[in-house]
Amino acid sequence: MSRKMLETEGREWVHKGIITPEQHQRLLALYPSDERVVGLLPLLGSLLVGLSALSLVAANWQGLPEWLRLLLLLGSLSGAYATGEYFLRRGNASLGMGLVGLGLLLFGAGIVLTSQMYQLIGYDASGLLAWALAGTVLTYLYRSRFLFILTACIGGIVQGYSTGQLGGFSYFTAALAIVGLGYYWWRQPDAVLATVLASGLLWQAGLLVSHLNAKITWFFIPAMLIYAVGDWQTDRPAGRALQAPPLVAAFLFTLGLALYGEADTYAGLLRPPFLAYSSALVLVLGLSVAGKYQRGRLSSATDWLLLLPGFYLHGGLALAIATLVVLYAYSGTVLWRGHQENNADRVTLGTVLFILTTMVAYFKLTWAFMDKSLFFLVGGALLLGLSSYLRRKNAQSLSSKLPE
Amino acid sequence: MMAPSPSFFTRRRLLWAALAAQVLFILAVAGAGYATTAFGRVVVLRTTPVDPRDLLFGDYVRLNYTISQVPARLWHGPQPPQAGQPVYVLLQPLRGAYEAAGVYSTEPAADAHQVVLRGWVTDSWAHGIRLRFGLERYYVPEKTGLSLEKSATRQPLLVRVSVAPWGQARIMQVAPAQN
Repeated sequence: MSRKMLETEGREWVHKGIITPEQHQRLLALYPSDERVVGLLPLLGSLLVGLSALSLVAANWQGLPEWLRLLLLLGSLSGAYATGEYFLRRGNASLGMGLVGLGLLLFGAGIVLTSQMYQLIGYDASGLLAWALAGTVLTYLYRSRFLFILTACIGGIVQGYSTGQLGGFSYFTAALAIVGLGYYWWRQPDAVLATVLASGLLWQAGLLVSHLNAKITWFFIPAMLIYAVGDWQTDRPAGRALQAPPLVAAFLFTLGLALYGEADTYAGLLRPPFLAYSSALVLVLGLSVAGKYQRGRLSSATDWLLLLPGFYLHGGLALAIATLVVLYAYSGTVLWRGHQENNADRVTLGTVLFILTTMVAYFKLTWAFMDKSLFFLVGGALLLGLSSYLRRKNAQSLSSKLPE
Repeated sequence: MMAPSPSFFTRRRLLWAALAAQVLFILAVAGAGYATTAFGRVVVLRTTPVDPRDLLFGDYVRLNYTISQVPARLWHGPQPPQAGQPVYVLLQPLRGAYEAAGVYSTEPAADAHQVVLRGWVTDSWAHGIRLRFGLERYYVPEKTGLSLEKSATRQPLLVRVSVAPWGQARIMQVAPAQN
């Protein structure tokens, strides 16, 4: 409870005779007012001093002798780590971790600036790979979520640079993210880190698929592999959070297929060799279902509806309608499971997905032959009616399940 | 924070090792610069004249080499060159500077008088390939950018590049051609 709420609400409680003024004071004493505002001033002051020093150095960078530039880089790097460690030992965890993170960023800047200083050319990502490696090591040493997130971002940047500028996918960078960060998360499951990790890995998987000039549907093999790992994780919220990014990707892809799949040229762009793709997909499906069975969560197997490879159908309206059926089936199962598990968040999610699907279906099926003003009028009325119906249904079902 | 472990690898020692490794790595990058100069073979590349307004960017000059654009017949590879693809350019001396003798998708064998320079394809069309070497920017020492800019509009520049046996290249000097 926040002190601010206690101060304002407490007066009302005293007024109504729920608590005495003495009790109000004793309650307030339990929540000492925040001292952080005072601690913020020196931080802001040192930030300004630091910024002035930075701009002074940056303005004269080219004019400084090489040894001084190197010394400045190494000094600020070591200084950031040392002061970070100092504050951590004094118990100021957020400032300490922030400074260690700054040290890690300075290491990356140091690699770039030093190679620029000596007019060196990076032919592969090994220089920047050291940056990602340092981030991984520090994540383990400090057991820090902040460093984990920073390292996941660094890995994404290094991979983006490698494929974009150097014309090669850095398999080491990908392996570092999978093994280093993946193992860390597996041992210390966490919902936020799961989403960061899954998003970072999906980014790298996307870069790999585009680098190999493969059909974009191949993206879903690594994506669903990430999803399957979530099935084997014993920590349920963390496992679910790891599965969210792949599912979002699969849902958006299916939505796109419903919208544009009618043109056979688009569906043709998506078709990988049938035998290779389907056997890989079935393999991952088996892995995922085995995990679900092992952890007793077989009901979530309906997520795999989104992975039905409808793009093998011949394009045309049949494909669009089949995809819409899949989307309806998926959002229906999300709604149904939400009701079964009495999970309000999932019911809301299912409702949103259901409405989204309805919008696409309506746009897809009536845009061509309906007058445009009538189109929007009927569409708006349809959505309003649908949303109020679903909300009433949710309220009923959730309230009927609440304990008396 | 972890409890201090009885093993040799205490947390404090590991932290020192992590810091030392990072400092050493940056020093190694600097060392790679010196090593490229010390062990590299010097090749002279000729630049093509550029629009003077394009040349000086703050603290660096932009260099466009004669080998930045080569005829498509020099290409040696199983597939046509693709934008972004890393390539190896075989250089051999021709009238006081090095010119491209071939562009390869894998590292070619070089004679004693030839040098291999690594680069990337930026663009390719039926008759030519445009290449990028990472040598297009030269960070000029303070206040010499303007004189370089003036001379580059009248005549091509000669760029001395040191190419190390392990492939790393580094610009040594940029000067107007003497003629």
